[in-house]
Amino acid sequence: MSSEKPLFFAGSDDEEDPSSIRESSPRPAKRRRLSPPANTQSSKKLTFRAAYLGSFIVGNAWSTVKGKGYVKPGDEILVERDDLDQDQPSSSRPKGRTAASGKSVSNNGKFKQLSVATMLKAQPKKDTKKKAHTVVRLTSKGGFEFGRLPQDVATWVSRLLELGIVDFRGSSVIECPAALHSGANIIVSLSIYIKASAFKTLNTASNPPKAMFNEGHETSDEQVLRERKSSLLHLFDVLGLKPVDGSDMSKIRQRADGLLGDDDLMQLTQRPSTSGKLSKSVRTEIVGDGEEVEVEADGEDLSNNELDMIYKRAQQNDQRMPEMDPPETFLLTLRGYQKQALCWMHSLELGIVSAREASSMHPLWSEYRFPSEPVEGIIDLTDDERPFYFNPYSGELSLDFPKTERKCRGGILAYVLPPVTLGMGKTIMLSALIHTNRGPDTAPTPQANEQPGVKHRQLKLDKAFRPMATQISQSSRGPSATLIVAPTSLLTQWAEELQRCSKSGVVKTHVWHGQNRLDLDAAVEDEEAVNVVITSYGVLASEHAKVEKSTNRASPLFRAVEWLRVILDEAHHCKSRLSKTAKAVYALRARRRWAVTGTPIVNRLEDLFSLLKFLDFAPWSAHAFFRSFITLPFLAHDPKAIEIVQVILESVLLRREKNMRDSDGKRIVDLPAKDVAIETLPFSAMERKLYDSIYKDAKRNFENLKAKGLVNRNYTHILAMIMRLRRAVLHPRLVLSEEEMKLPSGDGAVDVEQLIKRFTENENGEGGTTNGNAYAENALNNLGKDENLNECPICFDVMQTPMMFPRCMHKCCKDCAVSYLEACAFKDEEGKCPTCSQGPVNEGDLLEVIQPRTRGDGTASNSQSALPQVTLRRNDFATSTKLNALVENLRRLQDQDPCFRAVVFSQFTSFMDLIQVVLEREHLAWYRFDGSMDVRRRNEAVAEFKTPSRSPKVLIISLKAGGVGLNLTTANHVFMMDCWWNAATENQAIDRVHRIGQEKTVYVKHFIIEDTIEGRILQIQKRKTALVKEAFRGKSGADSESLENLKIMFGDD
Amino acid sequence: MSLPKRIIKETERLVADPAPGISASPHEDNLRYFDVSIQGPDGSPFQNGIFRLELFLPEEYPMAPPKVRFLTKIYHPNIDKLGRICLDILKDKWSPALQIRTVLLSVQALLSSPNPDDPLATDVAKHYKEDEKDAQRVSREWTEKYASE
Repeated sequence: MSSEKPLFFAGSDDEEDPSSIRESSPRPAKRRRLSPPANTQSSKKLTFRAAYLGSFIVGNAWSTVKGKGYVKPGDEILVERDDLDQDQPSSSRPKGRTAASGKSVSNNGKFKQLSVATMLKAQPKKDTKKKAHTVVRLTSKGGFEFGRLPQDVATWVSRLLELGIVDFRGSSVIECPAALHSGANIIVSLSIYIKASAFKTLNTASNPPKAMFNEGHETSDEQVLRERKSSLLHLFDVLGLKPVDGSDMSKIRQRADGLLGDDDLMQLTQRPSTSGKLSKSVRTEIVGDGEEVEVEADGEDLSNNELDMIYKRAQQNDQRMPEMDPPETFLLTLRGYQKQALCWMHSLELGIVSAREASSMHPLWSEYRFPSEPVEGIIDLTDDERPFYFNPYSGELSLDFPKTERKCRGGILAYVLPPVTLGMGKTIMLSALIHTNRGPDTAPTPQANEQPGVKHRQLKLDKAFRPMATQISQSSRGPSATLIVAPTSLLTQWAEELQRCSKSGVVKTHVWHGQNRLDLDAAVEDEEAVNVVITSYGVLASEHAKVEKSTNRASPLFRAVEWLRVILDEAHHCKSRLSKTAKAVYALRARRRWAVTGTPIVNRLEDLFSLLKFLDFAPWSAHAFFRSFITLPFLAHDPKAIEIVQVILESVLLRREKNMRDSDGKRIVDLPAKDVAIETLPFSAMERKLYDSIYKDAKRNFENLKAKGLVNRNYTHILAMIMRLRRAVLHPRLVLSEEEMKLPSGDGAVDVEQLIKRFTENENGEGGTTNGNAYAENALNNLGKDENLNECPICFDVMQTPMMFPRCMHKCCKDCAVSYLEACAFKDEEGKCPTCSQGPVNEGDLLEVIQPRTRGDGTASNSQSALPQVTLRRNDFATSTKLNALVENLRRLQDQDPCFRAVVFSQFTSFMDLIQVVLEREHLAWYRFDGSMDVRRRNEAVAEFKTPSRSPKVLIISLKAGGVGLNLTTANHVFMMDCWWNAATENQAIDRVHRIGQEKTVYVKHFIIEDTIEGRILQIQKRKTALVKEAFRGKSGADSESLENLKIMFGDD
Repeated sequence: MSLPKRIIKETERLVADPAPGISASPHEDNLRYFDVSIQGPDGSPFQNGIFRLELFLPEEYPMAPPKVRFLTKIYHPNIDKLGRICLDILKDKWSPALQIRTVLLSVQALLSSPNPDDPLATDVAKHYKEDEKDAQRVSREWTEKYASE
């Protein structure tokens, strides 16, 4: 403590400004984030030196003297800190108060001498070294030491005294033996007054707050803080002071309606406690260097319902939010809820007090009341009900109401909402914002005093990159350019949307991506030039890497010049705070920051951190802080965690979802129905054999590892096996290549090899027509005449996909032909025609008889009369159950709707290749969209797919590349070829089609092969855990939860 | 286990439209097992005989041939004492395009034209080769003795 003079300004009238205690103390240059802002309403006079907090009895103080007459019951005593080797000024000496001791004594009598046992028990086991520092002496008014406080009390009392924040006044002896001897028991009553200085901002706070919670090292300042905190907590405990509001209760002042009930909170936080796995989550949580929570166990993952609950609070007032019209340069008409959003964003950008009235108490603080003092006269508090506030996490005290407050300009737009018309709703919103707040921001950097950490780093970058001149010229004008970072697939969409809703020439966009990136600095700094730059996360990360690598490499993205505004689209891309992308995002300099995402919290509270970090939403942007107050409490099932998150979101997040209603009570979005069906398919015999043998291998492998306890170490290997199974489900071919690379694993593998080879002997090649030989003329001439009446000679059924044997043109079903040829091969015979035994015939030689689609292309309308044209196709492509199912569905679809649009999702590009072949063979126009394609090609694919035409079109999309952003409402049929570990990802993909702009019912079909790993994946989807997700991120460890999942995989049901 | 559609259809047709001189009916408790009787073809030593056979459709049918065996004793160079039949379509010349009906017709034809050059019952074949008339007489005797109702 620098000085204790100012503490006693009660009488000093002139020099001190009584309006705020805090003002009167030397203020640190940088305030600690966690201290609440001064509340302007607190102009009440705080003219007190110290306020009474309460009294407590110490039953086992002990005498240090021998003899009579030193003290007697009722004597007033002083409490002194023994300051033998402490450099802290002892502020404990009461200034000769004439406290009426009688009052304190009034309740004696009740407290008889405590038993020896109690006394012994109370003796804490502290090491002697520490003891030397915590001695608290009891002296008579004359200053004669007659006793000491027992160790357990002294430990924290000494701290309080050292810190100079409390006073012991009117303390007295209650009971003592007439003749003292060393160690004799003395009962004393101590009255505690908290000094005004305690309410000052803490000096130690000049350190960045994050250091305070750092694992491991603790500076001496931090130690002081921590001790202050624990001492105060101790004090409050002993005095029986309970918070009347805030922190430990789930009540927020002035907000009775729409809040979470206690039950909800219980549900949110206590949920896993039924399984009593508290220790488990804690255990897993500590794993690693503490940087990231390792678990994705039940305890941490959040279900949708729970997320809704968390968001509920942030949304509760949204219906009543004011609206705002966009400027004229913005061409589109906004809907009511969009105008509200605009108003909200606008006010956040300008730093106007939040559009939602933020009247919540800062979540870390609790409200207390000063107890009324038993003695009148000494302290005259004008207000009996005087509250004060305590932050049990930092140990800070305040007399002012600690309001939740935001300093960052920007926020999170949580758009679960599809676009209104063709474009993306969020694009329109942000475009409106760009139009509204367009001019250069001439205000001095708002963060100047508030972003020490960030600022510091950025200054360094400045120096490295830019000549001074630029900086000056720029700062005089203020930044005016907006940077939009979006997934690669959405770059053009952004550009187009921005153009579409803007009066021409007002907003000039530039997509900064790919090879020909122009000189961005020049472009942006020229007043007339580009004012919106759009780039991808990939470019951002690589530019950042360049900058990091060499100090003199400049990147126009991380310029000396600030951006007026940075918008992160699909901001969950940087949810992993350690990723390169996230780091790059943090390094951006901007006045205003927006994160747009459908899922601010993907499945863990920690996901939110990265966004807050980007927004610079102090104090939560410090990870240690976030972790201490949110992650850890949540893991310990403390309702507080959720409440804090709610309060944070309330001030920083606007959430829009499909089901929300606008101020008129109408649904914001009215989407057509979505019809989801799962088609469960049986394997063909061959596929079954193949799959089973791979599965048996994998299972044996797993059992072995499990028996040896090596599952964890071979996690990756097991995952590879699972991956193989998942591929085998799709198409036998997909396991071929890997099989070849694999070492032989026992005798089973060879068998598999052969099966696969046989199955996929022939592939690739163009479908074509053959003329056949002389004999077959008749057969060929009759083709298509009564094709449907033909019975397969093998299965006696009507021929499914009739196949012709090329030498004789005998026909049979495809399945029958194939299995016959396989049977021949099995006996080491040449393939031949089952009817006439002509051969040799290979599977690939077979000719498929293709019936014309009844209404396929324009010519087919008169198919009734004209003989339909039948074509033959070489059977050189081995298909699979799933591919067949897809083809059948598409054929049916085409019969119903000759110009349908369908979207086919798969996770495997290798499988997409096969789908492509199948569609080609079906003569369906297909387009492809996957991560390996560059932006231009992706855009082309989507554009062509969307182009109206009178023939059917199919878009094949990789689940990962196309899962977000894309607008595919032209299609209304979705086929999911494989299943993903979590259903949310799948749903997001489906929402590409099922979003605003969609006018038809959306039909979704999942193909699942029965009795395979897919069923088990669905099971795991339900279990809401994500075993492999972890591994996909490159982690090697497995927790018990993952092991459970593996057991599901290889269990026997 | 369900019966393949093909077997059901074949059975229906065998019952509804039997081949002349041939009857086949499945066991009630095992639809893959047939009781068969074949009339000895006219002009053969087996004329007027009714020969009982058993026919079983294995799991792999029709990719694998049915198993057929004479239950009635018969004096024939291509049919042994146990009733086993030497017929190429029941072995390597089997094709899934063949069916029960065609198999039984082939068996019937075999009765008309014994082939002692590809014998199964070597002594009978020898007999047929050395003294066909006498061998046919024995065949007739056996037919009378074992294959008459």
